[in-house]
Amino acid sequence: MASATEVAPPPAGVGSPAVRVLRENLGDQVLEVEEFRGDLAITVARKAWVKAVQLLRDHPELDFKLFLDLCGVDFLDKDDRAERFAVVLHLYSVSKKHHIRLKTPVPEADATLDTITGLFKGANWFEREAWDLYGIVFTGHPRLERLLTHDEFVGHPMRKDYPTARRHVLKSPREMLLRVPADSEHVLINIGPSHPTMHGTFRVQALLDGETIEDAEAEIGYMHRNFEKMAEERTYWQIVPYTDRLNYCSSFMNGHGWALAVEKLLGVPAPPRAEAIRVILSELSRIMDHIIAISTNVVDLGAITPFFVMFRAREDIYDLLEACCGARLTVSYVRIGGVAQDVPEDFEARCRKVLASVRDVWDQGNKLLTRNPIFQNRFKDVGVMGREDALSWGWVGPCLRGSGVAYDIRKDHPYSGYDQYDFDVPVGTVGDCYDRYLVRMEEMLQSMRIVEQALAKLPKGPVITDDKRVALPPKSEVYSNIEALMNHFKLIYEGILPPPGEVYGYTEAANGELGFYVVSDGAKTPWRLKVRPPCCNVYQAFPEMIKGGMLADAVAIIGGLNVVAGELDR
Amino acid sequence: MGLLDLFKGKFVDPTWPGVHAGGNVITTTVDAVVKWGRKSSIWPMPFGTACCAIEFMAFTASHYDVARFGAEVLRFSPRQADLMFVAGTIPDKLAPILKTIYDQMPEPKWVLSMGVCACSGGFYRSYHVMQGIDEIIPVDVYVPGCPPSPEALIAGIMKIQERIQKGEQAKAPQGAHRVGAPGDGAIDRRARRKAWAEDDARRLAEGAPPRGVIPLRVIPDEPSGGHHG
Repeated sequence: MASATEVAPPPAGVGSPAVRVLRENLGDQVLEVEEFRGDLAITVARKAWVKAVQLLRDHPELDFKLFLDLCGVDFLDKDDRAERFAVVLHLYSVSKKHHIRLKTPVPEADATLDTITGLFKGANWFEREAWDLYGIVFTGHPRLERLLTHDEFVGHPMRKDYPTARRHVLKSPREMLLRVPADSEHVLINIGPSHPTMHGTFRVQALLDGETIEDAEAEIGYMHRNFEKMAEERTYWQIVPYTDRLNYCSSFMNGHGWALAVEKLLGVPAPPRAEAIRVILSELSRIMDHIIAISTNVVDLGAITPFFVMFRAREDIYDLLEACCGARLTVSYVRIGGVAQDVPEDFEARCRKVLASVRDVWDQGNKLLTRNPIFQNRFKDVGVMGREDALSWGWVGPCLRGSGVAYDIRKDHPYSGYDQYDFDVPVGTVGDCYDRYLVRMEEMLQSMRIVEQALAKLPKGPVITDDKRVALPPKSEVYSNIEALMNHFKLIYEGILPPPGEVYGYTEAANGELGFYVVSDGAKTPWRLKVRPPCCNVYQAFPEMIKGGMLADAVAIIGGLNVVAGELDR
Repeated sequence: MGLLDLFKGKFVDPTWPGVHAGGNVITTTVDAVVKWGRKSSIWPMPFGTACCAIEFMAFTASHYDVARFGAEVLRFSPRQADLMFVAGTIPDKLAPILKTIYDQMPEPKWVLSMGVCACSGGFYRSYHVMQGIDEIIPVDVYVPGCPPSPEALIAGIMKIQERIQKGEQAKAPQGAHRVGAPGDGAIDRRARRKAWAEDDARRLAEGAPPRGVIPLRVIPDEPSGGHHG
C-alpha cells in the first residue's frame, strides 16, 4: 500500500548483482534496466549481446546456467521503440533461484545478431525458430534453416505485417536431413512422422551402421499450428481454450499457467478457493500426464498391459473433470482471476474415489514394471543425460530432476499456495531412462499427497475474483441490475485491458517449466505471446542422446522424455 | 454372430439379399458375405497427431473397448489397414505425408476424419494449418468435436460399417478446390493501418472529425408553446 509520504521508487534493478556485474563490465552498453511485477529485464546493445550472455552464465555471482527461452518480438509501428525487432532471452539460475530477462533491439534494415549457440546448446532451435518466424539472422549459427514452417513457405509469418491466414502449399517433405557420404555402406532410415513411437508428429532420420545409430537428426514443425500468431488476435480470455491444446495430456495445467501469467500482469490474484481447486485439478492432471508418459512408453516397447491397467485411472480423472466443467480432455475450466464455476457439491467424495483408483493402478503398474527385469534391461543406463548438459540444453521438469537437479517451481517459487502443502521433490542419480521413470512414479505419489492435503483444507468462498475489470458479474445480477449489465457488456466487448508491460509467468507443468512471456501494449489482445515450451528443449537433445546407441534404445528414450507435439511446435 | 451362425441360417437381417422363410434358408452373394466380413473386422490405422489422438487412445483402451465393434486390431502400417483415423490437426507441413500414407493403403479403404481440425481446420485459421483434410484425401465420415467424445467416435465407426455394408466409399477429395487457399480476408495489419491513416488525413483536410468519432447531431430547440397533451 502507498504510504502517506510520497517516496520515489528506487531505480529498477538496485541491489541486483546481475545489473551491477553487467554495468561494471559493459558500461554504457547496458541500455536499460526495467523491473515490472518482480521481473527483472536488462536491455543491452546488440554488439554486447554474446558478452552479456556469457557474463550471466559464467560469473560466479550470477550463475545463470539454465537456458529457458529465446524469442523474437516485432514492434512494428510502435513509436516508442527505436528499432523494429527485439530478441529476448530468458535464463534461470538454479543455485541463486533467480530468473532474468535479457533483451536487445535489432533494426529492421540489418536484422542480424550474433549467435549464442556456443554458450547454450539449447539456443540452437530457438534461434532457428526466431529466424523462421521473424527473419532475424543469427550470424555464426551452424545451420540456420526453417524449423517450424515448411521449406516452401514464403515470408516470416510472425511478423506483424504477415496476414494470419496466408498459406503456402508444400508438395513433398524435406528429404535429406543427413548427408550420407557417397561411398558409405551405412543405411539411412526415416523414423516418423507417421510412426507409432514418434507419437504422430516427430521425425528423426538416422544413419545406421548395423543396428547402431551413427548419426541422427530431428525435424519438428509437423504440429505447428500457430498458437502464438492466433493469440495476437484473441483477447486474454479467448486464449484459454488455445492453451488447453498445448500439452493436451494435461490440459488443465496449461490454463492454470496462463491464468497465473495474466494475473501477474494485471496484479489481480485469484481467491483462495479458486487456487485450491486449481492445485487439486493440476495435480490430478499431472498424474494423468505421467500415466500417459509411462504407459505409452512401455507400449512402444511391446508391453501393452500397463496401458490398459493405467488408463482406467485416467478415465476416472476425466469423469471428475467432466463433473466440474463438462469437458473431458480440453477443459477450458480456468478463467483469468479464478475458475469458471464452483466445483460440484460432491467434489470431495469424487476426488477421494479418484485417489483410490489412482492408488490402485499405481500399485498395479508398479508391480508390473518397476522390478521387472526385462523392463529394467531396456531402461537402465539408456539415454544418460548429465547434469551440466541437461542445464545447457534447457531441460526442466521430471527429465531435469531425473538428471539430479532438484529444480521444481512448486518448491522454489511457490504459486497458488503450494507453500502450504507438504511434499517432496524426487531426483534421480544417474539420469537414465529408468531414473526418469522412477521420478515420474514418485511424483504421482507426491501429487496424491498434495491433493489429499488440499482437500482437507479446501477453503470456502468465491471461486473468481470480484474485480470488475477482470471477472464477469454473476448472471443473476446481469439480469436484474443495470450496472452489472453494463459491466458485462463492456467486458465482453472491450475485454480485459491490462497495463502496458512485459511479464514472464511460469508454472511447473507436467513436463516442467511452462512459461508464458506476455508483452502487453495496453490493448485487449496481447502484442506478443511466447510460450516457453518444456518439450522443445527436451526434444532438442534427443538426436544427440541416441547417437552411438542402438536403434531400439531410441524408442525407449523418446517415450521417457514425454514430448508432446502440441506444446513442442505450438 | 459368427460365420457358423450364418451358415446355420440364423442370420435374419432383412437388408440382406435373399433371406427366406424366417431365416431358415439364405441365399446370398459372395460379395455380401465379404462386405459383412469386412465391416466386422476393420483394421484401423490411427494417423494421430494431436489432442484427438489422446481421446482416440481412450476410445481404444479398456473403458470404451473398441473390440466390441471388431476394430481393435490397430495397424500402424498403412499397408495392413483398411480404415484410417485422421485424429488431430494436419498442418501444411504434414499434408504430403498424410497423402503418402493414404496412397499406401490398399483398396478398398475408408477414412474417418476425427475432430474439427481434421474436418475443417477448426479454430486454427492460420498460416500453417490445412483447412480440412478433404483438401487432399477423400473422407467418408466426419466426426466433429474438439475432441469428439469416444461415444461420438463409436457412432462414427458404426457409420463407417454402414458404408462398408452398402458398398459406399468416398473417391475424391471433397475440398480439393480449397488447396492453398491464399488466406483472403485475413487482416494485413500494415495495409489496414495505412488505409486508416490515409482516411484520417482526408477527413482532417475536409475538416471532418477523425475515424470512429461520430459527429453529434444537433437537435434544434423546439419552438416554445408547443404542448403535448
